[in-house]
Amino acid sequence: MRRRHTSNRNSVAAIDWGYGINKARVINADVNDLRMSEAILREMPELQTCIGCGGCTATCTAGALTDFNFRMLHTLVRRGEYEGMYEQLNKCMLCGKCRLVCPRGINTRALVMLLKRKLGDN
Amino acid sequence: MRFFAPFCIPFIIGTAFLFAALAVKWGSWLYHLPRADKKLIGRNFFTLATPKAIWEVIRESLLHARIWRVNSLLGYMHTSLAFGWFLLILVGWIETTAYVGLRWVPLQGHVFFKYFAASAHLGHKPVFDFLMDLLLLFVLSGVAWAVAKRIVHRFMGMRRTTRHIVWDKLALSVLWFIFPIRLIAESITCAVHGGGGFLTGSIGTWLAGWVPRSTLYALYEPAWWVYSICLGLFFIAMPFSRYMHIFTEIPLIFLRQYKLRSGKKITSYDNFQVEACSRCGICIDPCQIQTDLGVNDIQSTYFLRDRRYHRLELSVLNNCFMCGRCEQVCPVGINLNTLRQNSRDKMRNVPNEKRYEYFTSVPVEKNSAQSKIGYFTGCMTHLTPGMKQAMERIFTATGESVWWADREGGVCCGRPLLLSGETDSARKMIDFNTRLIRESGITTLVTSCAICLKVFRDEYHLTGVELLHHSEYIERLLVKGSLKPARANDESFTYHDPCELGRGCGIYDAPRAVIASVGVLVEPEQTREMSLCCGSSLANTVIDDGQQLRVSRSAVDTLTATGAKTIVTACPLCKKALARGTSHNIRVKDLAEIVAERL
Repeated sequence: MRRRHTSNRNSVAAIDWGYGINKARVINADVNDLRMSEAILREMPELQTCIGCGGCTATCTAGALTDFNFRMLHTLVRRGEYEGMYEQLNKCMLCGKCRLVCPRGINTRALVMLLKRKLGDN
Repeated sequence: MRFFAPFCIPFIIGTAFLFAALAVKWGSWLYHLPRADKKLIGRNFFTLATPKAIWEVIRESLLHARIWRVNSLLGYMHTSLAFGWFLLILVGWIETTAYVGLRWVPLQGHVFFKYFAASAHLGHKPVFDFLMDLLLLFVLSGVAWAVAKRIVHRFMGMRRTTRHIVWDKLALSVLWFIFPIRLIAESITCAVHGGGGFLTGSIGTWLAGWVPRSTLYALYEPAWWVYSICLGLFFIAMPFSRYMHIFTEIPLIFLRQYKLRSGKKITSYDNFQVEACSRCGICIDPCQIQTDLGVNDIQSTYFLRDRRYHRLELSVLNNCFMCGRCEQVCPVGINLNTLRQNSRDKMRNVPNEKRYEYFTSVPVEKNSAQSKIGYFTGCMTHLTPGMKQAMERIFTATGESVWWADREGGVCCGRPLLLSGETDSARKMIDFNTRLIRESGITTLVTSCAICLKVFRDEYHLTGVELLHHSEYIERLLVKGSLKPARANDESFTYHDPCELGRGCGIYDAPRAVIASVGVLVEPEQTREMSLCCGSSLANTVIDDGQQLRVSRSAVDTLTATGAKTIVTACPLCKKALARGTSHNIRVKDLAEIVAERL
């Protein structure tokens, strides 16, 4: 797999299955700051309906060309891990296919714009 | 003869303020115009553009021809107020000259001439008495319509009118009073001094018969005072209110004739467009976000208002399909979509300049077969593979060799970013795709996506490459005879004009010709220039999924009211959006699909 982690937090090896699709990692509640994540959720409550199906990533135009992974990005941001997110988001072309495939009808394009405002701009 | 009385002071202050405000506004707007715009003015000033502009000013600023086309009562209201008032000033000036000869008379001398003429016992000229009364009646009838319109707007073909700010309300109320008060002041003058035409004269005679002379004398000066205060207040409120449009539309028409245009970035020329909006509210009714979703504060009139007073919010700015239906009806001809787009540019996410560096490593599709025709699928068509397959069948049927620019996916055309105001970032996509297309050596580029086509035609510099929508391409093939789909005389289709294709690129006839070659075309009630938006427009990032669906359903209702069992459209996004809003027995197909399935 080409996809790599954008978070460079020290990760502790969990159970070794002998294979893996992502680098093993743990959620570190001492480090993760949920305040931003909660502010984002307050502005877009519909994010709570995300089931993490990954349809957005599967159809992603930028994802076909780079390691941009919207599902992972959303998961990490919601978890309070923001490092490198803004740079990742800048790969998005806003084409809108993710919004069309989202089974929960989440306004993904607005989410990209909101995340960028919260994480980098202004 | 002295043309001054104390009651003139409010009027004089108001006019002086208005002229000063106009000088400051026009002056700074013109001064801040980009150099290129100033050059355009210089180059076009002594050409036919100037007389054309003068004619347009008469037609639009005075007669309001475009409003007549919306509704004749509404047109009459605007004409009587604007043209009537103008004639009152003009004939008033001639009247003054007829009485006192060609000499300089201060402004208040013309405006309050009746007062000065009566106090100086200048005698009467019945022709002018009659003319001025007739014109006053003309304007008063307009005021009556304006009051009626506030109460029952449906009456004038408008379901809704604009909600106004304080300055507008002040100016509006004063405006309503100006002419009735003028009537009263002139009538009292006639009652005291005699004279007057069929209107002021008759009311004057009636007043003289019924009201005690002492009362008339007591009311005489105050009436003129009130008239002068109303005028003064109106002129002071004017530069801050919607009535600034009266003096902004005139330079706008000239500048437009000199070929000045708004663009992707805000320029000083935009000021003329923004303040030329009279907030008439004609843009509200066609807005589907109003009719289908009941959102009442985002329409173009409100957007321009908020932009003008520097209180624009993202929730207003981004809540728009940019479908262009409002622009279609705007009587001032303001480029509403362009203005919204450059506001988005101003308020955008500041893009990281290192953005999209990965484009350099994106593999460029080679045109190894040296085909002359290229096909750009576009992101959305990749999501509707039926369209892609249909295009492939059509290409195969014609036997033409076609180069696929992005068969396995590629870089987006840039239109979605442009619509979000990320103009500079979009440029990087445009550059990438331009290189891709240039290097392929094709002479014709076909795309089945209306969104891509719009940006190709507007923003890409691809001279030597003909840019075709697949509807135009298929129509050509049909005319040439290289495609022969079986025509079903008993099958009816209705057509949904995609916003980007119809109002965006002006393509209305090609898709209809294609449909007519495979079946019977039935037009929905709202079609062509006024066709509805599917609700999924990329320009809107505010409304949620449920709201998109409601807009889609209502567009589908209009389409299925024709009785057709197949809705045909020519944009992959519209296709997806409409399909969600249909019931099970209605098919939504792309133009290419209905042709391909009959080959």
